[in-house]
Amino acid sequence: MKIAVVGKGGSGKTTTSAVLARTFARQGRATLALDCDTNPNLGISLGLGEEVTESLIALRDAVDTGEQEHASSADDLVRRFGVEAPDGVHLAVVSAIQNPEPGCP
Amino acid sequence: MRVAFVGKGGAGKSSLAGTFARVLAGTGERVLALDSDPMPGLAFSLGIDRVDEGLPDETVEEYNDDGHRRFRLRQGLTGVGAVERYAVQGPDGVHFLQLGKAHGQRWDNTRQHFGFQHVLDDLPGDGWSIVGDLPGGTRQPFMTWGRYADTFLVIVEPTPASLLTGRRLARLAATAQAPRVVVVANKVRESEEVERVGERTGLRVLGAVPFDPELETADRLGRAVLDHDPQGQTATAVRSLMDVLLTGMEPS
Repeated sequence: MKIAVVGKGGSGKTTTSAVLARTFARQGRATLALDCDTNPNLGISLGLGEEVTESLIALRDAVDTGEQEHASSADDLVRRFGVEAPDGVHLAVVSAIQNPEPGCP
Repeated sequence: MRVAFVGKGGAGKSSLAGTFARVLAGTGERVLALDSDPMPGLAFSLGIDRVDEGLPDETVEEYNDDGHRRFRLRQGLTGVGAVERYAVQGPDGVHFLQLGKAHGQRWDNTRQHFGFQHVLDDLPGDGWSIVGDLPGGTRQPFMTWGRYADTFLVIVEPTPASLLTGRRLARLAATAQAPRVVVVANKVRESEEVERVGERTGLRVLGAVPFDPELETADRLGRAVLDHDPQGQTATAVRSLMDVLLTGMEPS
């Protein structure tokens, strides 16, 4: 099962995603929570806390470091840069904006 | 005065920006309210029922720049002219211009976006105030889309996610050497939350807006909070934010 949660800012996307992820994990399903927001806060809703969430490295930045060894596969990327959240949910942050200058809307 | 509102989705940017624009216009200022969020928002808090209208395609023309297809404002049209011609007139005399909104699966926004960007490069100057509302989070790099602003108001609720977003925006602003960046504590229930917002974002606190159930009611009714509850907590707090900026008082 693959679910994407979308909606207007502040309408509850992140909270819904986190509750779904932890519910599935509690049912014994292997669950990957992907935070695709460039302002990633899903870790907070999963229960990881503000500091841990702030310190997560986005997969995109991990790839951009250009190391030869890692990222042989998507699974490997998640294994290396994802973190474990409560109930055994795996969390991976996809992208975070680090640059205040030009870009798409 | 040229201000832009940024912050996490749901922090209250549009509600405060729209109210701010109208309150400012109510003092006799000529105000242009700009919404660069491709999702609707600012129109509601301004009390304008046209939530889905970007600049028309005719605003821009395509030209060939050394083999590259590019867009520019059509011959004879200036940014100021585009505002005069295409901005919607709202309550209290506010002029309102919005980025095109997303339509359909393959929404071609190219012309609208280039048009909007060109207008940002040529906004009316003397005698005009600009109030901008940017999309939530850090997605739309605010030094580009908010480049007209001399003050950025980061709207932050006293929640971890909103505080974290405020901190990220403050960091981005620092790397870009942005002009003045201040924080507004929103949906405040206790005064200590205001201090927390200042401490945790590292930004100077311009002021605070209390949690206001009437704002929730106005949202559900699809009405501007300023029309729903003109003397209520939100309107009062926004007036005092404006006074602090207008009088040039040093925010606390």
